[in-house]
Amino acid sequence: MRKIIVFIFLLASSAVAFAAVGCDLNDPDRDIARLFPGSSGYKTVYLSIKTLGGEQLLERVESRLGDKFQGLFETIDVPYTLYEVYKSKVIIGYVHGVNQKGDYGGIQVFLAMGTNGLIKSFYIQRLTSKAAKELRSKQFGAQFAGLSLKDFKDYSPVTGKINATSPLSSIKNPSPGSGKDFEHVLRAVKKNLILMDEFVYSKGAK
Amino acid sequence: MNIYSVAYKNLLRKKIRSSLTAGGIALSAWVLVTLLGFNRGYENGLNRDIDNLGFQVLLTAKGCPYEAATLMLKGGTGLRYIKEDMVKAVTANPEVEKVTPMLMQGVFDPNKGENGAVAAYLGVDALTFPEMKKYLEFKEGAWFKDNKAYEAVLGYEAAELEQREVGDKLLIPGINAEVTVVGVLKRSGTQDDGTIFLPIGTVQSLFSKKGQLTALGIKVKKDTDIDAFENRLYDLPDVQVVSLAQVKSTIMGLVASAKAIVMALAFIAVLIAMAGVINTILMSVMERTPEIGIIKSMGAMPLDVFKMIWTETAILCAAGGLAGIFLSLLTAKLSEAAIRHFLPYTPNGALIASDWRIAATALLVIIAGGLLSGLYPAWRASRVRPLEAIRTEGN
Repeated sequence: MRKIIVFIFLLASSAVAFAAVGCDLNDPDRDIARLFPGSSGYKTVYLSIKTLGGEQLLERVESRLGDKFQGLFETIDVPYTLYEVYKSKVIIGYVHGVNQKGDYGGIQVFLAMGTNGLIKSFYIQRLTSKAAKELRSKQFGAQFAGLSLKDFKDYSPVTGKINATSPLSSIKNPSPGSGKDFEHVLRAVKKNLILMDEFVYSKGAK
Repeated sequence: MNIYSVAYKNLLRKKIRSSLTAGGIALSAWVLVTLLGFNRGYENGLNRDIDNLGFQVLLTAKGCPYEAATLMLKGGTGLRYIKEDMVKAVTANPEVEKVTPMLMQGVFDPNKGENGAVAAYLGVDALTFPEMKKYLEFKEGAWFKDNKAYEAVLGYEAAELEQREVGDKLLIPGINAEVTVVGVLKRSGTQDDGTIFLPIGTVQSLFSKKGQLTALGIKVKKDTDIDAFENRLYDLPDVQVVSLAQVKSTIMGLVASAKAIVMALAFIAVLIAMAGVINTILMSVMERTPEIGIIKSMGAMPLDVFKMIWTETAILCAAGGLAGIFLSLLTAKLSEAAIRHFLPYTPNGALIASDWRIAATALLVIIAGGLLSGLYPAWRASRVRPLEAIRTEGN
């Protein structure tokens, strides 16, 4: 009988397994320590476009992105989780993730960034794609290290074209012919960088 | 000036003491209302969860009725199956109203999180499953019409997590099969919110499980003797019968044990509050002995004094009780979140279902307990001898 109860508990808890719909790290303690090996702790801050600037901010973000926020998953009230990473009492960086609609499922792209706005590391937490293995490889992710928002300035998520002179031109699609998830990942990175700029780096300037 | 205003003013003379005593009563009322609300909410939630499953009896392969556990531990590889022709054998029973076959399968997706995770798919019959789960409503789209279609219906949270809308493609990792999303369900508050439904024939074909099922959901006709029906189901070869009514009673049995402990704690909280009331009122009586003597010398009868002290107790308990009830209603969501955090399994929906009946019961218990506590101090006050009391003050 106990086993039956366990069965029912598990049946019921399958809903819980899908309950975390935001873009949080699955295991922040482990992930932050991995992304920032020298860190001593982190603080979680919850933000949304609606509370920080409303329609005006949304329009600005869309304009900078060069694409409209679409569907039910990019609305003005989507909650964003920002992890402020500390060493003693000093912030040494940030970790921030965004959801992006992919060809076959949701993509969660996290960026670990320094206080200077440069990408320290890139991490796809979740991806359902025919090119999943390639896009989640360390080699692919390593290409984003050192890039910042200005490197994405000319990138248009609508056309998906990268200028030959752009620093992004060195980032190659690791699996051409496997759909558009490479472009979706680039859009997620640009969106992430813009949001980080609005939420953190240019916050005082506005 | 009537007896009530005298009692009220007496309480105001020692504001801090009265407030602390009322605070103690409020806390015990808060505990009482919250626990009574929890008992009702938990039972309602459990009933709702089981009713929402749409069937009262689940038939699975003998020895492994725990698909969900097996999927989590081993993916699809450790599951045991029953034959599809079992549907006919079960449907032949006169007690059966509807039967719906299910096939659960899982694949390990290495691209979920740091270490990968199992993605589960529930194959359901396009005809019978929607009939049995009529409470499920669509946010967009509809059920698949064909049991062999490469289509999917997503629960509300599954759709949010996978960021899928009607018309989008869904990739089943591992076997690299593509299905088209044809429906997204509204939030139902059940396990269906997190489920990805595929046509049963498609799951059988994709996972090479032709003619195999993991479970049969059985809805029986009204007034059926479920126990007798279950016993007859055991005549079928190699099956395990899971009665959800039995599961419910078992869970409620476990919950009742926990409830007994919790209610004992609530009883202790009420006892402590009563001790506080006795202490406060008795202290007040002792301090006012000369004053009570004067009242009696002016013509007050023992019953008048008794009523005055008892009324003080009643006012204190009513005020504390009402404050506690108000506090419990105010913090119900917070208490619910705390309970959900600590309990391994909680049903969906409101977990603390406090209402005016529970509030009235708690208030009655608190006031009755308070009045009981006030008996001795009131009796003692009524027994004060005027001359002795006045002489004591003189000394």
